[in-house]
Amino acid sequence: MPAWFLRGLRRGVVTTRYPDRPDPSAADLPTPPRFRAGQLTAGVAGRLVEVCPSRALWREDDVLVFDAGACTGCGRCERAAPEAVTASGEFELAVTARDHLIKRIPLPRQPRP
Amino acid sequence: MNAVSPAQPGCSPGRARSAGIDGQGSDAAGAAEIEQAAGQLRERIDRQFRRSLHIRTLDTGSCAACEQEIRLLAAPHYDLHRLGFFFTPAPRHADLLLVTGPIVRAMDVAVRKTYEAMPGPKIVVATGACALGGVLGPDAFVHGAVDAVLPVDVWIPGCPPSPLALLHGLLVAVGRLAGKAGELAFVTEGTPR
Amino acid sequence: MTTTEPGPAAVLKEIPRVAGHAQVRDDGRLVTVRVPAAQLEAVAHLLAATADARLADVFAAEDGAGAEAGTAPGSVMLRLVWGLDANQRYLVVESVIENERYPSLSDIAPAAFAEECEIYEQFGIRPDTHKPLNRVMLPPQAGPDFPRLGHPPAQPPADVHAPHVVGGHAFEFPVGPVRQLGAESLYYGLVTSGEEVVDLYLFTWHKHRGVEWRLRGRDARDALFLVERMEGLSAVANGWAFASAAESALGIQPARPAVWARAIALELERLYNHAAALAALCQTTGLSVGQSAAEIALERFLRVNAAVFGHRYLFGAVDVGSPGRMPDLGRLRGDLPGAYGELCRAADALLRTNSFVDRLEATGILSAEQARRLGLVGPVARASGVTIDSRADHPAAPYGKSRATAVTRAEGDVLARLQVMLGEAAESVRLIGELARAADAGGSLADLVPGGNPRGAGLGWAESSRGESLAWVAFGDDGLITRARLRPAAVRNWRGFDDACRSQNVFTDIPIIEASFWLTVAGTAR
Repeated sequence: MPAWFLRGLRRGVVTTRYPDRPDPSAADLPTPPRFRAGQLTAGVAGRLVEVCPSRALWREDDVLVFDAGACTGCGRCERAAPEAVTASGEFELAVTARDHLIKRIPLPRQPRP
Repeated sequence: MNAVSPAQPGCSPGRARSAGIDGQGSDAAGAAEIEQAAGQLRERIDRQFRRSLHIRTLDTGSCAACEQEIRLLAAPHYDLHRLGFFFTPAPRHADLLLVTGPIVRAMDVAVRKTYEAMPGPKIVVATGACALGGVLGPDAFVHGAVDAVLPVDVWIPGCPPSPLALLHGLLVAVGRLAGKAGELAFVTEGTPR
Repeated sequence: MTTTEPGPAAVLKEIPRVAGHAQVRDDGRLVTVRVPAAQLEAVAHLLAATADARLADVFAAEDGAGAEAGTAPGSVMLRLVWGLDANQRYLVVESVIENERYPSLSDIAPAAFAEECEIYEQFGIRPDTHKPLNRVMLPPQAGPDFPRLGHPPAQPPADVHAPHVVGGHAFEFPVGPVRQLGAESLYYGLVTSGEEVVDLYLFTWHKHRGVEWRLRGRDARDALFLVERMEGLSAVANGWAFASAAESALGIQPARPAVWARAIALELERLYNHAAALAALCQTTGLSVGQSAAEIALERFLRVNAAVFGHRYLFGAVDVGSPGRMPDLGRLRGDLPGAYGELCRAADALLRTNSFVDRLEATGILSAEQARRLGLVGPVARASGVTIDSRADHPAAPYGKSRATAVTRAEGDVLARLQVMLGEAAESVRLIGELARAADAGGSLADLVPGGNPRGAGLGWAESSRGESLAWVAFGDDGLITRARLRPAAVRNWRGFDDACRSQNVFTDIPIIEASFWLTVAGTAR
């Protein structure tokens, strides 16, 4: 028994201070993407929609719809179009309304022929 | 397939904590009074939950990674007890139902019984991409998302959501932290509509 | 086993003779032989009598384009996967079954019973006996229209249930499916006479998500995404088994960086799972201080995973043909020793704590004979003296160069399983060191274009923390999956659970035994 007690004392406190202070381990966590709207051509958007394996990206006319709730942070969209997509670094994603997680990103309009 | 019935009458989906207040008063003044009382009741309920909450976990068909992260909430690195949260195996003692998985239809009866066994007011938190409608879609095997079947109050994305994300979500559920993903744009060089 | 039994090498020559001019294809690691249905029984008998031949899996697939819905089952291809461990080969015996009946395999190899039940539910074909087949995979609500891989069975399978009175003194106690804190949904029917466990049966169909059904029509990368999330705690092992099956089928040679990156990820997965098993053992024996110590080790391993591969559960570490992610070797070298040190300190202290060890000794004993008969794999089998480890028996790169030593014990109880896991953890740390030293740099996403000689179908395997995980996948000419078979270790090892819980064990031992198996329900329910 004393051995356990001493071992515990020697190790010290490992408990996170979150939420009072940020936790450094959060830097390694996978996060949903952030899109560079300026780089999102229709072609890029089409590629992203196709590559997403989790139903988190789809097109509605000239809008790219991103569902951060369905997103798993797998990073395939980032690998498919690194110029247009980076990791957002956000992991505090809980919401009280489901549509807070749905983001609509306007795509540049197609030029009329 | 028996779908689980949504919250008690008078509750809008997603605000299951209010206990059966029907906002249809016979006159405008009566309606406003009832609304105010409802607001005060909600606040009292929130205050009760804020610092002490019992959580019941419900696996509706996850891959087991979400469960592992949930178990770690009680581990030394995260220690949810310091925030006043506790796990309970008894739905009768639980205030919050933490649901993982896309609700496999074979679990319908178990899901309904667990939800109905919890006395109101209660909070439902759906956690993980499967529970939020990603990964698998609705089909003959699964409902596809927890909010297809239960009135959800808080949604926590992730695959799996890390214990930090779960702590954030639980604190949002009891009103100690604000959900901020609504304000996040996930876009640079342009604003979403 | 007698000395007159043929070894695996001899039996490979015997099969064509017994099966009548059967074509045998042997590529050094995988042997495939197609056998007419009439000769299947003889071949199965021959293999069952062979020393070191182990029936690893049985599954079916619709033959050719498949029959239309509503008609009687068309022809179904039955495949038996045998591990010829001493010969470092897997043998796949294929046979076309045309009239809904095939020779009973469970009479020859009892391990095949659960697979026969599964095949009946999914394809409607059954062994040629009167033995009732149980419901294993599909829920009771699954009518004829429920999505299946083949045709619905003519009669629904029997529901397992124990008699409510056994000798006037036993009663049945339902547990689940919703269980306590963070435990997966699982139903078990516990038949007890008060303290002793008379019988125990499991229903795992509550979590059936139809993963094999969903994989049809997907390409290999989309499929891998789902395979990882079928059983998240064995994502690397199941992903590797699937990816290597796909590579074999499509004729893709995995890039060298992929090969050692996968192995590092697999060993990291083994480490965190074994730490989690130790924490679970402490929880079930009521030692919260020990549990906390083990959980500290577990959390540190998960943080190593996030630092090295960008995900706590290593999702995305495996890809088809190329590395999923390049591991950060600097963080690996920096962070892993501390995490492993935590596990060692916790384990050393616990193994010197009598109140812990006493609960584990002689609990949940499985004999070597039981382990073999049920076809168990992984630490559960190795703790009972059955020395099988697919890293050593079927070394896929890089395990050919970086050899893994299997850790075995003979007692077969919970303590032996824990000791095997701890021995494996030490071996994993050693292997990771070796693999990190052999590191190459570079690597990019491979194009999924069939090259070389795509066979169209392939078998893959990996040794998960729970045991041998198998995958078999067939692609059409369009590069989309026509049939994928996933057999994580959990599919095998749950059937040892009830045997381990019977015989001299009491109620409170059941969670301890469950923790010592450290399986998942997701892995068997799929």
